[in-house]
Amino acid sequence: MTTTKTTVLKRALYAATALCLPAAAMAQDYSSYGIKEDVPGACSFAAIDAKDYSGRTLNIITHAIPVIGEPTALHAQQFQELTGATVNVVHVPFGDLFQRIMIPFQTGQAAYDVLFYASLWLGDFNPYFAEVPQSYQDSSGMMSVTPTYKGVATWNGKMLQYTMDGDRHYLKYRADVFENPEMQAMFKEKTGRDLTVPATWEEYNEVAAAFNDMDFDGDGQPNFGSAEVTKRDDLMFSAFISRVAPYAKHPDVKGGFFFDLETMTPLVNTPGWVHGLELFVEAQKSMPPGGTSFGLGDEIFSFGGGQTLMSYSWDDAFIQAMQEDSPIRNKVAAAILPGAHEVWNRDTGAWDHFDEPNRAPYVTWGWSSAVAANSQNQDMAFDYLCFFANEANTLSDLQIGRFGVNPYRDTHFDPAFYETEMGWDAAVAESYATTLRDIDGGANQVFDLRVPGVGEFMSSLAAGVARAMSGEASAQEALDGVAAEWGQIVDRIGADRVRAAYANVVALEDR
Amino acid sequence: MYRQKYLFLLPGLLVLVAIILFPLLFTIRVSFSSWDVYNPGLNWIGGDNFTRLLADSRYWQALVRLSLLTLATVTLQYVLGFGLALLVWRDIAARRLFRVLFLVPMMTTPVVMSVIWRTIFHESLGPLNPILDALGIGAQPWLSQAGHALAAVMIVEIWQWTPFMFLMLLAGLLSLPQEPYLAARIDGAGPIRTFLSVTFPMMAAISTGAILIRLIEASKLMETIYVLTSGGPGTSTETTSYYIYIRGMRDFQIGYSAALSLTYLVVMIVSLTVIAKALTRMVVKD
Amino acid sequence: MKHTSYLALKYLVVLAWSAFVVFPFLWMLSTSFKSANGVTGGATWLPWLQYEPSTAGWSALFGGPGGVNILRPYLNSVIVTLSASALSLVLGTLAAYGLSRFTFRAGPVRNGDITFFFISQRIMPPIVLAIPFFLMLKTLGLLDTLTGLILVYIALLLPIAVWVMVDFFNSVPRGLDEMAWMDGCTPVVTFLRVILPNAMPGLVVAGMFCLIFGWNDFFFAFTLTFTKVQLLPVSIVALNSSVTPWWALSAAAIVSVAPLAVLAFVVERFLSRGGLAGAVR
Repeated sequence: MTTTKTTVLKRALYAATALCLPAAAMAQDYSSYGIKEDVPGACSFAAIDAKDYSGRTLNIITHAIPVIGEPTALHAQQFQELTGATVNVVHVPFGDLFQRIMIPFQTGQAAYDVLFYASLWLGDFNPYFAEVPQSYQDSSGMMSVTPTYKGVATWNGKMLQYTMDGDRHYLKYRADVFENPEMQAMFKEKTGRDLTVPATWEEYNEVAAAFNDMDFDGDGQPNFGSAEVTKRDDLMFSAFISRVAPYAKHPDVKGGFFFDLETMTPLVNTPGWVHGLELFVEAQKSMPPGGTSFGLGDEIFSFGGGQTLMSYSWDDAFIQAMQEDSPIRNKVAAAILPGAHEVWNRDTGAWDHFDEPNRAPYVTWGWSSAVAANSQNQDMAFDYLCFFANEANTLSDLQIGRFGVNPYRDTHFDPAFYETEMGWDAAVAESYATTLRDIDGGANQVFDLRVPGVGEFMSSLAAGVARAMSGEASAQEALDGVAAEWGQIVDRIGADRVRAAYANVVALEDR
Repeated sequence: MYRQKYLFLLPGLLVLVAIILFPLLFTIRVSFSSWDVYNPGLNWIGGDNFTRLLADSRYWQALVRLSLLTLATVTLQYVLGFGLALLVWRDIAARRLFRVLFLVPMMTTPVVMSVIWRTIFHESLGPLNPILDALGIGAQPWLSQAGHALAAVMIVEIWQWTPFMFLMLLAGLLSLPQEPYLAARIDGAGPIRTFLSVTFPMMAAISTGAILIRLIEASKLMETIYVLTSGGPGTSTETTSYYIYIRGMRDFQIGYSAALSLTYLVVMIVSLTVIAKALTRMVVKD
Repeated sequence: MKHTSYLALKYLVVLAWSAFVVFPFLWMLSTSFKSANGVTGGATWLPWLQYEPSTAGWSALFGGPGGVNILRPYLNSVIVTLSASALSLVLGTLAAYGLSRFTFRAGPVRNGDITFFFISQRIMPPIVLAIPFFLMLKTLGLLDTLTGLILVYIALLLPIAVWVMVDFFNSVPRGLDEMAWMDGCTPVVTFLRVILPNAMPGLVVAGMFCLIFGWNDFFFAFTLTFTKVQLLPVSIVALNSSVTPWWALSAAAIVSVAPLAVLAFVVERFLSRGGLAGAVR
């Protein structure tokens, strides 16, 4: 999509004021752009307004509309108006985004200047990216990004990604049901224990089963226990890793979650992983009809539309539930992902018991952005990205749920923001902001497998998990198969090469 | 003057060869390389990709599954298309309306329609299960059980491409000469015997052509699988093209997927030739 | 009595199939006026009664908030599809006439093999052709251009045109040609003056298939363009984000099938006039 032509009048006006006043001294009102107020800095509206890129073209590839795609187009439009550049944007569904970016890269075609994509592909894309110049790294917007997301943006000590989003998996549940005394009584009767927010995946499965296929919200429609992303090639691997992490990521065992960094032996068929898969298989009976082939879109509709009691993945379903016109607005809450009492210790080869459940928050996916190394417009491209992610724009984007821009600066974890700006109930805002902050600052994080060939590793993993889910193989058999395939992939790519890349991920986890 | 014959054939042939030659040769060359996400380029690894392919049970299973799925779907399309063509051939009210209606599904965009079909088959939010419930058949696990998922894929294919068969066969029927039917009536042949001894033999050639083209097109089944089931549950709906897509575009194993494709091309050419011969022989025998 | 029940059965079957054909279209129409709330509560059909109608799905296609503007891509699709179909039809008709009327021989290769060569171009899975086509257009400087897409589409459509037209010409009596030749016409003149005017039905069928396959291609339109040139399917798919917008995609499906549905009427006219007689023999 080519963003439409400059609104001539507005531009003329800005140009005129820019001529009359030195940019620094100017306190101009940019609230017509939908922001509350400009935040001074190198990437502010005023600073970008002072630049002139007329006669130049910026090509951007981004995700489909609205998630990330809509803010890309919106800020492209604004950038065009402020600088006089022509900005072309193309929107691509996530399933096709990788190839669309990779083919031009590999064939040496300078197709795009700016790229928005999933941060886990950094292992494949890093040779083709330009490093973020120091001046941008020193900008106030970038300085205030949390260490977690700065870490995600960095590769071999260089910052290659421009952080503009923060993503992670967390638990979402229907607070109204959990707080309903009738439901609490029913649960107690069924299971003999009090209804609490699941602290382990065993509890999650138990709660989901207890509330499955009943009308717990009294609207006449049947409700179900759990909505999860289970469709094989549609991000199911992420859901699976969330479930596995607390069983397989021992806080005291360093040196790799997916592989043993020293030997590059795949760990996917170790007992922690197998147990996680068994619980995933078991949870299928508490999913809505068709829930065993839910894509992310289905999961969002299922939980966000009030069909299911619990769900876990990115922000989308939570945001859907909190839409102005949603029937379950302010009836939901967020929590950190369930953990595990028994954690596999691969150093000792035994299960370790944790009285307080072990948590292993999964910092997954996350939209990110970068500038192509072969771009002829790197100056303009970085200006665009720093403008996209400036403090004023981000605060405005955070409020539009469908944009998919989620908290990644310390200031974003303030419950008051969601309460006053978005009208959320205090309790909802509190649970959301606290959960996200805890994950961000938490220990024992798990990160995506950002190595060359991540697509191959994950499609192999998803295929194996799908076999177990459908009953074609047992959990152990399926993951043994995956481990064997992973071994072959490592051999093909070269163990040293994968290890060098994986060391970056492990360094983040073990920091 | 027969030299002018080249004026007819060559422009088309040369244009096609010019467009397709490089991609074809390139694909052959790539299949002997390990071009992938981390090693772009045309190195030489001999026949490694083909050795790997021989041991790739997922590929061969997908090929068998595709063959069965394609044969079943195309057969059903043929039978349904022929039946519908016979029904709106003559003696029916509003036949022109029905004819237009029966053509339209073929004109929808597969990449968009597959998403629509996924909403239709959606087991709790889609329209199909409530209707089946109301009819007393009961809700079905459309996309979460292997057998049902295969059926769902077939239903989509049949909806979209039966019109192709219908059009080819209806056009054929409408061009049949009258004389054989008069003769059959004089012989006192009933409708079934007339169909078997007059209509069907005259439609044999056109049927063969239509079936072959549908076999080629149906074998490329990919988008529908991707959107409806992603090849699941398990691997139960994974077809060759979908598997090549996963290896080629998702995993970005360009070299290996070229080898998969070339093998597929050879298998297809051989089996289509055999099928064409068999169909033609059936026709001649009749 | 027997006749009546046969008739009843006949109408029953025709109506049942019609229902099957129409069902997805009705569903799309209904869904295109929904919003997320109209979708997440289970299947509904009737606006106002069952769900609150919204035009968000439609406005998303025409530059509304959170949408794309499909007008330019629509025009691009028309240009590419018509050009590629016309060129394929011209080249395909000529080649088909040659293959139908003359004998070609090169070593073991005969007419039948040449025809099969044309058709066999459709066997290859498109996925594997993405990179070679990309490199080819890159060398020619035709990436992200309408011309480049037209070129690639000819490779997709020409085989179909040849296949339909060979069958068609085979059913046109050779006597027509021979009479013209005896009058002293060259083959080219014969083709233009005598055969072509009688070939309309074949051209209609072949043209229809070209338009359908050209209009609905997604993969090449997607792989061989960047930001400047976008075809309709690509810009529709740009709406398919993490939340699948059932409403916008339904509206898009209706919008994209509309021009081809008009084509169905044209084809049917030829069909009912008996004009297609021989188009596929």
